[in-house]
Amino acid sequence: MLAYAINLAVLICINATLAVTLNFIMGYAGIFSIAHAVFFGIGAYSAAYAAAHFSASFFVAVPLAMAVAGVLSLALALPALRVRGEYFVAASLGLQVMAVTVFSEWKSVTGGIGGVIGIPPVELLGRAVAEPLEFLLLALACLLLVIAGTGVLLRSSFGRSLQAVRDSESAAQAAGKNVAAIKTLAVVVSSALAAVAGALYAFYIGFINVESFTLDTSVLLMAMVIIGGTGTMLGPIIGALLLMLLPSAFSYLWFLPQAQIGACQQLAYGAAMVLLMLFRPGGLVAARRDGVVR
Amino acid sequence: MLLLQLLFNGLQVGALYALTAAGFSLIFGTTRVFHLAHGSTFATAAYVFYGLYTLAHAHWLLAALLAAAAAVLFGVLLDRLVYAPIQRHEGSFFTLFIASFGVAIIVQNLIGMAFGRSFVTVTTPLSRSVEIGPGVFAAPLAGIAIVGALGFFGALHLFLTRTHLGIALRALSENPELVRAYGLSPRRLSAVAFALGSLLAVPAAIITVATSGLNPGIGSHVMLISLAATIVGGVGSVRGAACAGLLLGLAESLALWKLEPQWSEAVTFVVLFLFIVLRPSGFFGRAAVH
Amino acid sequence: MTSIFVKRFRSIALFVAVLGGAAAAGAQEIRIGALFAMSGTQSAFGELMFSGAALAVDHANADRMLSGKLTMAVEDTQGTPQLGVIGMNKLVSVEKVPYVLTSYTGVSKAVAPLGLRSKTVVVNGGAVGPDLAELGAYFWNVIPLANFEVKAFVPYLVKQRGFKRVTLVYLDDPLGNGIRKELEASLPAVGGQLVEALSVPVAAQQFGGVAARVRESKPDVVYIASYGAQQVSAIKQLRDNGVTQPLVSYGSFSNPEILALPEAKGALFTTQLVDWQASDAVTRRFVDDYKAKYGKPPGVYTTNYYNMVRLFVLLARDLQKQGKPITGENLLAQRLASKSFDLAGSKVSFEANGTVMAPIQINEIDAGGAAKPVAVIPVN
Repeated sequence: MLAYAINLAVLICINATLAVTLNFIMGYAGIFSIAHAVFFGIGAYSAAYAAAHFSASFFVAVPLAMAVAGVLSLALALPALRVRGEYFVAASLGLQVMAVTVFSEWKSVTGGIGGVIGIPPVELLGRAVAEPLEFLLLALACLLLVIAGTGVLLRSSFGRSLQAVRDSESAAQAAGKNVAAIKTLAVVVSSALAAVAGALYAFYIGFINVESFTLDTSVLLMAMVIIGGTGTMLGPIIGALLLMLLPSAFSYLWFLPQAQIGACQQLAYGAAMVLLMLFRPGGLVAARRDGVVR
Repeated sequence: MLLLQLLFNGLQVGALYALTAAGFSLIFGTTRVFHLAHGSTFATAAYVFYGLYTLAHAHWLLAALLAAAAAVLFGVLLDRLVYAPIQRHEGSFFTLFIASFGVAIIVQNLIGMAFGRSFVTVTTPLSRSVEIGPGVFAAPLAGIAIVGALGFFGALHLFLTRTHLGIALRALSENPELVRAYGLSPRRLSAVAFALGSLLAVPAAIITVATSGLNPGIGSHVMLISLAATIVGGVGSVRGAACAGLLLGLAESLALWKLEPQWSEAVTFVVLFLFIVLRPSGFFGRAAVH
Repeated sequence: MTSIFVKRFRSIALFVAVLGGAAAAGAQEIRIGALFAMSGTQSAFGELMFSGAALAVDHANADRMLSGKLTMAVEDTQGTPQLGVIGMNKLVSVEKVPYVLTSYTGVSKAVAPLGLRSKTVVVNGGAVGPDLAELGAYFWNVIPLANFEVKAFVPYLVKQRGFKRVTLVYLDDPLGNGIRKELEASLPAVGGQLVEALSVPVAAQQFGGVAARVRESKPDVVYIASYGAQQVSAIKQLRDNGVTQPLVSYGSFSNPEILALPEAKGALFTTQLVDWQASDAVTRRFVDDYKAKYGKPPGVYTTNYYNMVRLFVLLARDLQKQGKPITGENLLAQRLASKSFDLAGSKVSFEANGTVMAPIQINEIDAGGAAKPVAVIPVN
């Protein structure tokens, strides 16, 4: 039972990291991306590649993953500079589908559908982190660092400019802000930090393939942010917690026929999304904006 | 020869894409609701038809009419029970998006529980193709699809230009406030939009059952194409979405002339991505909000 | 749209439900694990495999072959490597089973390193990707692999049936790629040719364009290397779109959905030879009990998974007689020390690399939707 709980906790940490980084661009920059799983994947594949070809050290694999994701996220930043709202969602959708095709076909790097198998455990300060409990501590540490990092950024002048751009792009431009640079930087930071989660995921499961980085994952992450509440730090974490725990809660309903448990879990998940949007659209954690509580 | 065959395949697939895309575009353009569950409307119509025709051995016309009724009912109920309350409260774009996605998941799983998760199809001689030219095969259903699509679009065009309701719908997509000033009810008009948009998905759904077959996940694929076509065609232009749907169907098929099949899905989205970056207003749309 | 994370926890639910049942069953318990596609597009196969394995568990308990009750923890993989790894992780670290039944090439390749690392025996009876021969000492195959099936099939197709030009439609995953490699290697040797190889993505549902390319390549026969719902869809659409050439494949054509498909009439496929008419007690009991319970005779996959459980029971019984604990390491040693095993429908011996050689049977789908054997290729 403990092993089960630790496993769940690690996955929650990884997903919370992803949700927090997505919220950085969704809640604070107003950039609604449905391609976040792409950078999760890029981080995972880069870390796996580094572990196989260079070194499994945390301080080699993770920075490499962040760098690759950061550079490639410029492909997402490009439409972000041109369009907003539903158009941007559609562009990020296009990027997501294209990325899945690349992940499936670039077999020499990603292994295609067969994936990358036998990823060695990550090495931290000379020793391999193979025990689940140790890995949980590492994942928690990364989550806290990401939260701290984004928090610091948001409280800085960059963060204020970011929110100014979100609230009114033309006003921000009139005030002399370099909107293009701000948006691009936000996308790069968000993607690079998402890659950290990807690297952790690759090291934890020891196997990655394209199935973890599809549109479904991106929409799940977006749901975590919106259900939890955009615009606050706590919101995405609550969202991640809820959406990861809800299906497991189902396992305690012994009267469901085995073949249908999965479908029932998904029904509950879909129903939760609909009900929450009907009755609590601002998200579970309401944002405080200018003292006005929503 | 191969190119001609692929062109013809593309026309057939494109006709079906055009219908569903037009339905989505009508709904999205008129009500600004990101109706992700449009794919579920498609799936509902398809499975109702399959259930009645194959499992209950009903006459195909009866099955088709009931499928259409189911689709329309689904669309309108969704609007009334889910979208309208959300829009009354706060109605942010993404709230609707997530709610619609939740509905899509629910429908997909209900279908899976009721009909099983594997592939089902309707056997009919209409789907068997015959050689109509050197190296070119076509099935009667392909002809039906193309002619049917043209017929539906013709009817749609007449409706939108000649009837009061149709004109009111077009007005709603341009300027909701003015519509209210003229004494029409945007609420009622949006229900009409949903009914009509959902209806457009039905012929495509029925033909798909007999040609490529169904599985519970069919809704998502259809949804992605409809969305891509709506953007490429220009938001607010039903004609644009239809043309773009046709174009994407052709592109997907013609890509096979030179590329391996696994790249054909990516082709659709490369086209979408390029349009958004280079020409967000699409073919016929209004200028993009920036 | 279903999500990978929700799918993952679906398997947790299944596991916990089974665990709950097992905990109630009793303390002295011997547990094995299984990775089946219980839901999703491959569920038809998952059911076949599960039914065979479950029957073997029942038989073992009825005969009291082991001291302690035999139970099986099933994880749902949906045929995908991702869920397979998650399920395997649970079987190894939480359930701590010494023996795991697996299926699907992609899944097996992904979980094999876990088995190797934890010294858990992983046995395959359904997947046929040629790579599966190279997954280490703890990975065993009781089904001849595709390269073996293809190597046996190709001379029959070219020489006996005169099909020289072959077009391959294959799923772009380890199995499909493995079959492609094998066709490329064996066809030229007998005067045949792989004229076209079209790879399709996993989620592909439209085969009109693929059919056009197939027709363009003017083959004598079309080999379809896919599985599950996609294969059914592909067969129907190829036929609908004017592909009149015979369709051939490997054992996955024994899927009941394909046998029932009108468009699949006349298709040829290979399976290992299983003698369901054999008169020995094990075979008779298996065939009769299965027919009584499910109303139809067992197929190849069902038989293999029955036998994989029976193999475990035979090995575990020997270990218990020697007073040794049932661990993966001991199971492996016991297998290496045994010459052969009396399984249902055949007597099986293992090669050094954990694979089996068996005669290959070539089946044809007849008008009644049954698989009729038309030829047998012996082991050479």
